[in-house]
This record gives sequence, structure tokens and C-alpha cells, in this order.
Amino acid sequence: MELVDRYIAAVQRELPENKRQEIGRELKANICDQLDALSEQGELTESQVAAVLKQMGHPCKVAQQFVPSVPIIASEDIPLFKHTLFMVLGVLFVLQVVGGTTQWLGSTEGSLFRFIQHLASGFIGDACLAFTAIGLSFWSFSAQGKPISGSNCQKWQPQNLPKVGPGWQHISLSDVFVDLATYLFLLLVIWCSVWMSSEQLAARTVIFSANAQQWLQWFSPIILLSMGNSMWQLRRRVWTSELLLANMGINLAYASFLVFLAFSSPLLQNQVQSQGAEFQGVFTLLQLEQWLSYSLVITAMFPGYEVIRDGLRWRKLAYK
Amino acid sequence: MTSSQLVKMRLELRRGVLVLAVLGLLKQPHYGYSLRKQLQDGGIDIDEGTLYPLVRRLADQGLLDSEWRQAEGRERRYYQLSSLGAELLSQLTDEWQQLNGALAFLLEQSADTNGSDMNSLDESAEEI
Repeated sequence: MELVDRYIAAVQRELPENKRQEIGRELKANICDQLDALSEQGELTESQVAAVLKQMGHPCKVAQQFVPSVPIIASEDIPLFKHTLFMVLGVLFVLQVVGGTTQWLGSTEGSLFRFIQHLASGFIGDACLAFTAIGLSFWSFSAQGKPISGSNCQKWQPQNLPKVGPGWQHISLSDVFVDLATYLFLLLVIWCSVWMSSEQLAARTVIFSANAQQWLQWFSPIILLSMGNSMWQLRRRVWTSELLLANMGINLAYASFLVFLAFSSPLLQNQVQSQGAEFQGVFTLLQLEQWLSYSLVITAMFPGYEVIRDGLRWRKLAYK
Repeated sequence: MTSSQLVKMRLELRRGVLVLAVLGLLKQPHYGYSLRKQLQDGGIDIDEGTLYPLVRRLADQGLLDSEWRQAEGRERRYYQLSSLGAELLSQLTDEWQQLNGALAFLLEQSADTNGSDMNSLDESAEEI
């Protein structure tokens, strides 16, 4: 019987406090009935008792069957939970890029590694907080027994569903948020003279040349238009002819501008040291400028590729 | 199909009828072990880890009444159908009979179709 008591105590440990006494009492009665039936065939040994208990199942499993655990988030709400989490993390990423860029541009030590490190650590911290907050919110609804998705799933209409199309027609949220983060980053870099203090500005070693700065500022409306285009994509998240045409126009503008910038000179100027001096003791300004030009040409290939790709897609849609 | 897949599917198939079987037997009062014995004698083998929690859940849902009784030097918890449970049993019994009839018909049709396919194959073989 000591073995039986140990088993019941183990089951009770896995149960909520208010159910332990009652379930323990009943479980003991059931096990004793089984043992009584077995003992009619002869005296029971400890191994026979152990076999009966083994057949009952592990105490955790038995406790779980008596009092099934309630999921933290109702299963119907999991897709909405994932979607909400993704949207919020996307926004946080964008904000972190903005904040990180601000700090990076304002610092005297313009290390790219530090910028990425700051971005990653800041985003992870915010993401943990967001995950906890969203999880707790969904849990509070689930705990009341009112799944959030229930009513939404009843309001849909078949006519409002998007038409069947190829896989590329679906716009993923991650693409939109990455684009938005990139545009914000560019605007911050271009307009740093507006939001940075004069001490921070004076502390920078290398800056854009006056010409390059002017061209970049004239390009800002295109960047703002790109952001508007991304927000438009968020509305339906399906590539239509109009969206593809708008995207092609924007990418063509980017590609052309980047190539133009790559071949205009000078791009950079040394604020503190003389033009021939070495930057951080390793590179000259001329070398930096050359690398920047190559980078701009390579970068221009990405929007250039997207123009061609979207053109082909637009043709497929237009002549379907 | 692997044996574990078969075991899972059998469990799925039995899960639905178990509630009906338990409610049906509890028109008369039973305690846990005696209920299991009755089910086994009737051809439904169920392990204790499934039956006892199931009976408790049905009681928590108000479908069963229960009381502790002293007998043969020990206490046991006896369960019996409540009025709500009796109503549900009647509805589930009708549902079961409908399903049973429909399934018997479908399986018979399926057997007839297989049989006629086999006959036509045999005839084709004979012609050849």
C-alpha cells in the first residue's frame, strides 16, 4: 500500500490545490478495487502492485487526464496571434532602425559593427517586451473563454477574397517592413543636418560633398513616395497591375539616381583633416569615394532587376 | 499503414462511442472499477487512465450524480445518470442509431461496388 500512497501523492503533486484531495481519494478507491480483484487470485506481491500502477500511467499523464491544462492562447486565436506579433515586431524593427541610425550618425565613432550590434540588442529587448505584452493580452481573452477570432471568422464574404493568382502575387509583410525600414534609414542619413546637433555634425569625419548632399535632398520626395507605395501594399498585399507599375516607376527612379550619383564627383569630403590625409589611418578619401561609387553601381542593380522582373509580371497580368 | 497509425485511428473511432457507452451503463449506479468491468464484459476494453477522468468530467458537466458509499470495509464513489444526463443519453442514442444506419448502408454499397468491379474484371479475363 506504501507504493500506492506514493503513486497517489505523485499524481496529487501535479494537480491544482483545490482538486488534490478529491481526486486523490477517488483514485485510491479505484486502485484498491483493482488490487482487490487481483488479490482474489492469490497474495499480491510488490511487483504486481507496481505493474497495476504502471498500467495506470505516469502520474503526470494521469493528472493531465483528470485536469487537462488550458492552452495559454485559444487554438482559434493562434493565426491572429502570429499575425499581430509579426506586425508589431515589424514596426519595432523600423523604429529600432530609426533610433539606431540616429545614434550612429550622432556618434564620433562611426563603426558599422557597433551600429549593427546596437540595432540587434535594441530590437531583441523590444521584441521580448512585445512578445510578453501580446501574449498576456491574448491570454486574458482566452482565460475568459472568448476567442478573439470567432467573430472575425463569421464576418467574411467569399466575394471579398482575392482572385486566384500565381505565388508571387502575394506580398509578404517582411518585405514591406524591410522596405519601410530602408526608406526611413535613407531619409535619416540624408537629412541628418536637420535633426543632429551642431556638435554632433562637427564631430563627423567624413560627410557628403555639397553637390551630393543637394542631389540626395532633391531625391527625398521619391523616397517619401516609396514609403507611400509600401503603405499602399499593406492594404491588400496582392500585386495588381497598378501596384506593379508604381513599383516599376519607383525602382527605375532609384536605379537611375544611384547610377547618376555613382558617376558624379566628388561624393564625399573630409571635414576635419586635409583631403590627402588617411581616413582612420588606413584609407584615403579617394579610395573611400571609389568604393562608394562601386557600391552605388552594384546597389543600382537590385532596383534595376526589380524593374525587369515587375515588367514581366505586369505583362503576364495584363495579357491574362 | 503502420500499426501505430492503426492504433491512433482506432482510438479516434472509439473515443466518440465511449461517452455513449458510459452514459448508457450509468442508468444503474456504478463505481469506477465496476463500470470498467461492465464495459469490458460488453466488449469495450478501456484503460483506467482514460475511464476514470472521463467519468469525472461527465460528473463535472452535470451529466452524472455521485456519492461516496461505504461497502465491504471501504469507501467507493458511485456514479449514476442525472436528469440532464438521461436527456443527453436519449439524444445521443438517436444520433448513434442514425449514424449506425447510414454507415451500414455506405459500407454495404462500397462492398457491392467492389464486388461488381471484381465481377467485371473476371468477365474481361474470361473473354480474353
